[in-house]
Amino acid sequence: MKLTLRVNGADHDVDVPRRATLLSVLRDDLGLVATRFGCGAGQCGACYVLVDGAAVASCLMTVDQAVDHEIVTVEGLAQDGKLSPVQDAFAREGAMQCGYCTSGMLISATALLRRSSHPSDEEIRDALAPNLCRCGAYGRAIRAVQRAAAT
Amino acid sequence: MIDGTRLEGRIRVERDGTVTAFSGKVEFGQGIRTGFAQIVADEIDVPIERVTVILADTARTPPDRGTFGSHSTEQEGPALRRAAAFARRQLIERASAKLNVPADRLRTEEGVVRDGDGRALAYAELVAEGPLTGAIPDDVPLLPRERWRYMGKPRPALEAVDIVAGRARYAADVRLEGMLRGALVRPPVRGSKVRNVDDAAAKAMPGVVAVVREGDLVGVLAEREDQARAAADAVDVDWDLPATAAGETVVLPLHEDKGIDAALAEGATRIERTYVCPPIANAPIGPSAAVADVRADGATIYGSTHRPFALREAAAKRLGLPPEKVRFILTLGSGTYGRSSSFDAPMEAAVLSKNVGRPVLLQWSRAEEFEWSPSRPEAVLEASVALDASGAIAAWRYDEHTNVHTSTGFDPAYGGESSGRNAVPPYRIPHAQVTLYVEPTPLRTANFRSLAASENVFAIESLMDELAHESGQDPLAFRLRHLDDERLRRVLERVAERAQWGTPRGERRGVGIACTSYHGTKVAEAAEVEVSPSGAVRLLRLWAVIDPGSVVNPDGVRNQVEGGMQQSASWTLFEELRHRGARVLTSAWDQYRIATFRDAPLAIDVEVAPDPAAPSSGVGEPGAVPAAAAIANAVFAACGARVRELPLLPERVRSASPAR
Ligand code: FES
Ligand code: FES
Repeated sequence: MKLTLRVNGADHDVDVPRRATLLSVLRDDLGLVATRFGCGAGQCGACYVLVDGAAVASCLMTVDQAVDHEIVTVEGLAQDGKLSPVQDAFAREGAMQCGYCTSGMLISATALLRRSSHPSDEEIRDALAPNLCRCGAYGRAIRAVQRAAAT
Repeated sequence: MIDGTRLEGRIRVERDGTVTAFSGKVEFGQGIRTGFAQIVADEIDVPIERVTVILADTARTPPDRGTFGSHSTEQEGPALRRAAAFARRQLIERASAKLNVPADRLRTEEGVVRDGDGRALAYAELVAEGPLTGAIPDDVPLLPRERWRYMGKPRPALEAVDIVAGRARYAADVRLEGMLRGALVRPPVRGSKVRNVDDAAAKAMPGVVAVVREGDLVGVLAEREDQARAAADAVDVDWDLPATAAGETVVLPLHEDKGIDAALAEGATRIERTYVCPPIANAPIGPSAAVADVRADGATIYGSTHRPFALREAAAKRLGLPPEKVRFILTLGSGTYGRSSSFDAPMEAAVLSKNVGRPVLLQWSRAEEFEWSPSRPEAVLEASVALDASGAIAAWRYDEHTNVHTSTGFDPAYGGESSGRNAVPPYRIPHAQVTLYVEPTPLRTANFRSLAASENVFAIESLMDELAHESGQDPLAFRLRHLDDERLRRVLERVAERAQWGTPRGERRGVGIACTSYHGTKVAEAAEVEVSPSGAVRLLRLWAVIDPGSVVNPDGVRNQVEGGMQQSASWTLFEELRHRGARVLTSAWDQYRIATFRDAPLAIDVEVAPDPAAPSSGVGEPGAVPAAAAIANAVFAACGARVRELPLLPERVRSASPAR
């Protein structure tokens, strides 16, 4: 089916199967591959995107459900070529190893800081708990969110 | 084949003055690209921003034995360093000829050769006459430490900015013209043979381009991934199940002193213990993925593996192409901790692509990743130890029962290094006997971070704790009285200091300690836990002191050790891969709990305590090794529960707790 998605501030026309996941359309039709496949079941956080400002598993959302919503992926976090405070803080803290989980964490952290500008340690852990990291970068990621909150 | 003994195979100074370095190593987030850039930038003397490191592209980088055992910096660093130093010397020689000044009156500075009189030639000008070439001498003089600007200083990973900006590309992100998506049809159990394939229904489904059968591999190719998956489900395959033949047990003595039986019998105190580690999953966040583009006259494969050149050989064989017609290009990889030593997805993608003559992206589903990947084998560790009247260890018998730890199968010639890794304790023991039993099970097993060292060190360091407590000695002092290795003593003493060993932590809290020597790296760790009356273990803090010889990037070391400890804490507290025979019963994250943000300790404190006189040894694996025992020992210190079987589940801790 033909539909129009609003992603990273621009309208995109796509022609895809109606039940296609938002994740597959972002990655395979729009080339926004920084949103990653991890489980397809809402259990790992690798595919998170902002939907109207909230962190949502794009593997669980079908593309027709995404119409009329404002979608933001990691590619859309930077403004005017400048990394967002969350992106910058993750890079500075070296809050990653392989980086596969990082996109999802950046999205969860961005959504968190939008609703709570100075989150406690507890709030950060809760907000990022859906984002699994097998490399064990949790401690650094918590520090990165704190750093982003301080800027 | 690119020749890594020649300068042109290692370092290229480009016409614009930037520097490209080539290595057959691979990056999985161990930070080796960053470390190599630091080495090359210092030794050739350019700002690090001008250095590009190309890793594992079989058409462009020299071959390599594989990225194993945390050895990357140890083997490859010095080779790159000599190459860069040789390049720098040649640049000086060229400048000397041009300026007509003796070479010893010239010096380099940030990509420029200068003489004493204000004349300068940029590297870019010096390579205009032709590329730098030649056999790299062994004795090329290296820049002294005072001239280093990058080596030994902390530095975030080079990839970090690309990753946060969304520009990093993993195997599943490769997009080629005309690329199809693949999905495999899985048999009920590994090793099944195809009897018959009925693909009529699948072929009629939307987007399906082909159903491929080659040997016992059956797969669907479609325009979209979900179409390929749906069609794969609709392929009806009649399978012949494999006969279950139990393999032979291999018995391998790893260490044998004479008189062990007598020494055990004569001991003043004797204890016998059995420790158990369950099979666990590598469980990368990104399931296995690869892209292959196989044409009649050659093939290109994109992916991540620990063994790029071996992968090329294997793919060439499978595709019936000469190896030089197969090119493997490394992409970033989801951390796999050894998983990608097995070439599953790259080989499957190659076979699928070959059958349609178009590029194919194959990414396993989460369920496939759990069910079809090799796992870390189970280990049962049996020990019998005697102490003499003074409380010193008199005799130590240790039997390790496990399965194969390497994707290439069990090779007894390397048994002590693979399935028997770290089974021999680092302590002074007059009579020791250590025996490895490799007992094949139907479950598919292979490489996982540190191979068997994590299991063995869990057993050995738990046992050391038990021996100390049984004989009324302090666990730290007990270890030290049996340790001759000065570097290991130093990290152990230091971690005890940092963790304030001996200071009581209050109700139901305790600190445990453990150490090991791993491939030349010395590491000691401590853990502080709180155990609830229900047996739930909360990890409060972890400490590590690590001496990996000389250090190129201290922040990289810290990051690796933190990650290794966090991952090991997850294995220790939560993980067990459930299976029945060859069949894995876990298919999703909600059936395989790993540590989350909520489980992360309040702090992981890592001190890098390098020994600049020792060669660089690895840091990717050792950090994960002693953590399990440190945590289990902390649980004992907190509540008196000695749990000898991992994971440390609340019910195990509760039932091991002394009656109150
Ligand atoms: S891929 Fe969507 S939550 Fe895992
Ligand atoms: S950095 Fe590798 S999974 Fe998080």
